[in-house]
Amino acid sequence: MRRRGAGVAAIKNKNLAQAKYKDKGNEIAEDQITQMTKQMETFKTYLEDFAAKHKDEIKKSPDFRSQFQEMCASVGVDPLASSKGFWAEMLGVGDFYYELGVQIIEVCLATSHRNGGLISIEELREKLLKSRSKKSQDVSYDDLLRAIKKLKALGNGFTVLTVGQTYMIQSVPGELSLDHTTIIQQAQSTGHISKSQLIKDLKWEEERANRALNYMVKEGLVWVDDQTGSDRQFWFPSLFSANTS
Amino acid sequence: MSSVEVPWQYSFPPFFTIQPNIDTRKKQLEAWCSLVLDQLKKDKNYSLDVNEAQKSIFSNKEINRKLSLDGIYMVLDELQKRGNLEWKDPKTKKECLVMWRTPEEWGKMIYKYITDKSMTNTVCTLFELSSGDETAGEEFHGIEQWLLIRALKTLENDGKAELMKFGDNEGVKFF
Repeated sequence: MRRRGAGVAAIKNKNLAQAKYKDKGNEIAEDQITQMTKQMETFKTYLEDFAAKHKDEIKKSPDFRSQFQEMCASVGVDPLASSKGFWAEMLGVGDFYYELGVQIIEVCLATSHRNGGLISIEELREKLLKSRSKKSQDVSYDDLLRAIKKLKALGNGFTVLTVGQTYMIQSVPGELSLDHTTIIQQAQSTGHISKSQLIKDLKWEEERANRALNYMVKEGLVWVDDQTGSDRQFWFPSLFSANTS
Repeated sequence: MSSVEVPWQYSFPPFFTIQPNIDTRKKQLEAWCSLVLDQLKKDKNYSLDVNEAQKSIFSNKEINRKLSLDGIYMVLDELQKRGNLEWKDPKTKKECLVMWRTPEEWGKMIYKYITDKSMTNTVCTLFELSSGDETAGEEFHGIEQWLLIRALKTLENDGKAELMKFGDNEGVKFF
């Protein structure tokens, strides 16, 4: 039997069907978008209501604040983006972080002659709380990290180093490589480190250990101690005070 | 070492090793200088014996560290540069006079005391000033004679006092 080729009517039909599908598809997509927008709007209203209602708690409790920040981040709202925005006006959080930023700079400058511009986040917080008036809000590590992040706007002066379980803040320019942060991490528990420790524990070449340690001496981040009886020890003033206080 | 407000560095072991980094060393020497001056001031001590100081102020038994002799001289030279120290014999450098206040500062302090008490134009002996009952509560009470004379000489240069001798006694008249 001879196969019939596709007729004109069939092609027309097919095209028609495709156009219809497309229309329907668009319709559905539009529907979804309007619905989503609606949902987001509702959510935003709720968020705003929530913020207004819990304004005091957000200001007072660091835990609450950090959770609120997370919630905002997940819907793409940054309460810190502008001090003039709704959020800042509503909550005053913008001011809070700017104020904190200035105080962080102050503490870092005041201690840099001692620690060479490297400070543990614990010490930073302790010093900060001491200098803030008693009435002002409590400050969490999360707040500090957020405020430091905002300081990036002023250039690359402030860097947060992740050291093991905690953080250190470097307030002097000067690149610290991975080797250097590794050294800080190794020294964290005792406040000091020696070359032979690095060679033994990290399996570093002597040259590598030498170079990294000498760099840190040059930058004023460590002090050397030659009275241990054996290997020269390198001490971090920034870790030392954190240990004793 | 009987302690004043001990600076944190005193229990920081590397403090007792002279630092290779110039900037760090500057901070280190500065801290040592104020530590020495503060300690002597607290003890009302006006001289320092290098050998003895090596065992007391320049060492910390608790952490088993002591500053080397080279280090000590570095600190003392720095103090000399600042005008706080003079060697009794610059050749041997064994003992030195330490002025935790400069003669000018002492002079000003004494002069203020005199004017506060309206004792200008009167004569008093050096003994009265340094050890008399009248000055018992003053900071310059107990000041050693050599330093007192130096302080008064600075006043003399300013025309505010005149040193005089009568017999074995030395005295001073303030204007």
